Amino acid sequence: MKLILLPEPEEPIPSLSVSHNQGLLQWISSVDHKQIGIMYLWLSVIFLVAGGIEILLVRWQLAVPNNHFLNPEVFNQLFTMHGTTMIFFVAMPAIFGFNTYLVPLMIGANDMAYPRLNAFSFWMTFFGGFLLYFSFLAGGAPDAGWFNYAPLNEYNYSSSPGIDYYCSGLLLSGIGTVTASANFVVTILKYRVNSMSLKQMPLFVWMMLINSFLILAAFPSLNAALVMLLLDRQLHAHFFSAAGGGSAILWQHLFWLFGHPEVYIVILPIFGIFSEVFPVYSRKPIFGYAFIIGSGMAIALLAFGVWVHHMFATGLGNTVNNFFAASSMLIGIPTGVKIFNWLATMHGGAIRFKVSMMFAIAFLIEFTIGGLSGISAALVPIDWQLTDTYYVVAHIHYVFIGGTLFGLFSGLFYWFPKISGRMLDEKLGKWFFWLFVIGFNTCFLVQHALGAMGMARRVYSYPDLPGWGILNLISTVGGFIMAIAVGLLVYIIIKALKTGEKALRDPWDANTLEWTTSSPPELKNFDHVIPVNGARPFRDFKRPDDADWKKNGQQWKIN
Amino acid sequence: METGPIIYQWHFDPFILALAMCIVYLYYKIDGFRQQKDIFCFWTAISLFVLLEFSPLHFLGMHYYFSAHMLTHVVVLLICGPLLVISIPNKSPSPTPKNLQILSSLLYKHAWLGWFAGVGIMWFWHFPVVFDASFTAMNNHFSIIPLLHAASMLIAGMLFSWPLFGPFKNYHIHPLSGIVYLFTACTSCSLLGLLIAFAPLNTFHYYTNLSNSMNMGGLNPWGLSVKSDQQAAGLIMWVPCCFVYLTACIYLLQRWFRESGIQKNNQLVKLNTSLIEHD
Repeated sequence: MKLILLPEPEEPIPSLSVSHNQGLLQWISSVDHKQIGIMYLWLSVIFLVAGGIEILLVRWQLAVPNNHFLNPEVFNQLFTMHGTTMIFFVAMPAIFGFNTYLVPLMIGANDMAYPRLNAFSFWMTFFGGFLLYFSFLAGGAPDAGWFNYAPLNEYNYSSSPGIDYYCSGLLLSGIGTVTASANFVVTILKYRVNSMSLKQMPLFVWMMLINSFLILAAFPSLNAALVMLLLDRQLHAHFFSAAGGGSAILWQHLFWLFGHPEVYIVILPIFGIFSEVFPVYSRKPIFGYAFIIGSGMAIALLAFGVWVHHMFATGLGNTVNNFFAASSMLIGIPTGVKIFNWLATMHGGAIRFKVSMMFAIAFLIEFTIGGLSGISAALVPIDWQLTDTYYVVAHIHYVFIGGTLFGLFSGLFYWFPKISGRMLDEKLGKWFFWLFVIGFNTCFLVQHALGAMGMARRVYSYPDLPGWGILNLISTVGGFIMAIAVGLLVYIIIKALKTGEKALRDPWDANTLEWTTSSPPELKNFDHVIPVNGARPFRDFKRPDDADWKKNGQQWKIN
Repeated sequence: METGPIIYQWHFDPFILALAMCIVYLYYKIDGFRQQKDIFCFWTAISLFVLLEFSPLHFLGMHYYFSAHMLTHVVVLLICGPLLVISIPNKSPSPTPKNLQILSSLLYKHAWLGWFAGVGIMWFWHFPVVFDASFTAMNNHFSIIPLLHAASMLIAGMLFSWPLFGPFKNYHIHPLSGIVYLFTACTSCSLLGLLIAFAPLNTFHYYTNLSNSMNMGGLNPWGLSVKSDQQAAGLIMWVPCCFVYLTACIYLLQRWFRESGIQKNNQLVKLNTSLIEHD
C-alpha cells in the first residue's frame, strides 16, 4: 500500500540536529517540540523532588504530637511551596510535556504551529518556577498557602517578599501556559494530517483541545488577580484590602474562578491519557468515543459554574450555597460517564497487566474515592464541618495523586519507549507501582479520619489527642514509602536510559500515529503518514482485513 | 400594598397579547395558512410566553422579587425564543420563506449578530440605570415598555438560536463552532449573573425600594430578604442557564456525530480516488 505523502511546511522548521555538537546549548536553543516536551518533563521531575522534600519535612514535623522539628514560619513556607510547586510546576509541566511531545506526533504533524512560541512557553514556565524558588534566598518563601488568601497575602500580614515572588513566578508561568494553549489550539485545528477529521482524532488530542480552551478562559482570571495583588503590595492599591475599600473575598472569587477549572485542567489531559491506555492494553476499541468527548466538553463548561463550592464557609449566604451545592453534585455526572466508558472498554478485553495499565486500573479506584469525598464536601453542612481539616487534604490528594499523578505515571510507562527508545524495567516498575499505591493509601486514607476527628490543616503542631498521634504517624510512614517509590522510579528511568532494552517502534501494539515513527522519532517526525480512516489508524494499517472502518459497515474497496 | 393571594394575580396586557397574535399570524402565514404538521414546539413557546407575561410570576417580578423577574427573562430568552425558531417550517411556496432565507443567510455569515443579540439584550436590560428606568416606565398605565421588554427578549432569543437551530440546515453554523458560540455566551451570562449576585444591595434601586416598603408593612409573600432575592436572581442567570447552554452543546455534539457517517463516506471516497493506491 502506498502511503499518503505528507505536505512539507512552506517555510522550513528552524534547523536542529540531535547529533549537534553544542551540547546543552543545543537544548536551550531548541524549538523542536520533542525536545521542549522532554524539557518540560525533566522540569516537572526536578520540581517533584523539590516539592516532595518539602512535604517530607512537613510530614516529619507532624509525625508526633507537640513536635518542634520545624518552627511555624518554616512550616508555613514549606506547605505553601509544596502545594504551589506540585500544582503549577509538577502537574502542569508534566501534562504540557506529554502534550508538547505527543500532540504533533499523534496528528501527523512535524511540529507545533508556532515552534518559537512553544519554546517561549516552556522558558516562561521554567523561569517562573525558579523565580518562585529564588524567594528562599531572597528573604523567605511565600507562606499563605497555595491559594494565597487575602488578607493574609497583603503586605501587612506577610511582609517578607515571598508573596511577591509567588505573584511574579506564577504570572510568568501563567503567561507561558496561556501561550502554549493557544499554540495547541492552532496546531490541533490546522496541522492535522489531511485525512484525519476531528471525529478520527485521538482522544488524548481531543482532551487537550478542550483543555486548551479551558485554560484560555480560566488563566486570565489568575493572571489578573496576581497583577492586582502585586499592585496592592508594591504600589499600595487596595483591591483586596477591606480597610482601603477593597474586598478580601474578591481574591477568593478571582482565584477560584481560575482554581476550580484548574482542577479540570490538570485532569482532562489525564482522561486523554487513559483513553489511549485502556484500549491498547485491553486490546479493544474505546467504548463510547463520542461520550468521552461530550463529557469532556460538559466538564469544561460546568467548571465555570461550581467554583463557589470552595467558598461555602465564607458566609456568602444559603441562597448562594444551595445553588452551588446542586451544581457541584451535578458535575460528578460527566466524570462518572467517563469512568463507565473505561470500565466498559476493559469489559471483555484481553487485558495486559503492564505497569501503565496497572496505574490506569488503580486510578479508577483511587479517583473514585477522591470523587466521592468531593461529592460529600459539596453538601454544605458537611463542608462546614470538614472545611480546613485533613478531610479536605485527603480529598485533594486522592484527586491530584490518584487522578493526575497516576495518569502521568501511566502515560510515562506507556510512552517512555517512544520518547527515549528504551524500555522501562517492567519488573521494577511493578515494585514501584505497589510501593507507591501502598504508600499513597497509607498516607492519605487515614487523613479522612483525622479530618473527621477535627484535625485542622496547616497547623504546624497538634496536641496529643486520642488517635491523632498514631494516625499522623501512619500518614508520615506512608509519605516516606511514597518517597522511596519515587526514588525507585528515578532509578528505573536512569537504568533504562543507560542500559535499558532498546524499544521497538511499536512495543505495545498500539493504535495511534506516534507509534508509526521510530523510537525515538527522528528530528523530522514524518516523511509519510499512513492513511487515517478511523480513530485507530495504526491498528487499521496493521490489520487491514480487520480494520474498524470495515466493521462499521463502510465497506471501502481499495483498488 | 393590598393584594389577594398571589395565585390570583393574573394581569392581562393587550400589547403582549397583540404581539403573541402577530407571531401566531406570521407563523401560519409562512406556510400559507395550511395545517402544520409539527406545532408542538410552536404552541409550547407561545403558551409559555403568554403564561409568563400574564401569570402571577410576572406579578411577583414586577412588584416583589428580582428572582421572579429573572426567571421570566431566562425562560423567554432561552426557551421560548429557541422553540419558536425550531418550530418554523422550511418548506413553503409562499414568499415569506425567502425573507427567512435571507435572514438565515445573514445570520449564518455573521453569526456574531445572533450572539450579540442574545447576550447583549441580557446585559442591556440589566444595566442598573436602564433597569430602574424601565421599571419606572413599566408601572405607568398604557406604557409600551412592557411590550418592548418582552418582545426584545423573545426576538433576541430567536436571533440567538437562529444560526444553530434555524429552519434551513444548510445555514446552520458548524456544530463545533456552535459549541464555542454557546460556551462564550454561557461565560458572558455567567459573568453578568455573578455581577448581579454579588453586587451591592443598592445597585438595583427598584427592588431595594420595594424591599423597604415591604419592611414597612408591605407584603413579602415568600419572606425573602432583598439580599437573598438579588443573589437568587444572579444565580438563576448563572447556574441553571449554564445547564441550558450545556444541553444545547450536547445536542449539537450529538448532531455532529450523527452526521458522521455521511461525511466519513465522502471522505473515504475522496481518499480512495485521489491519494491511496494499492499494490
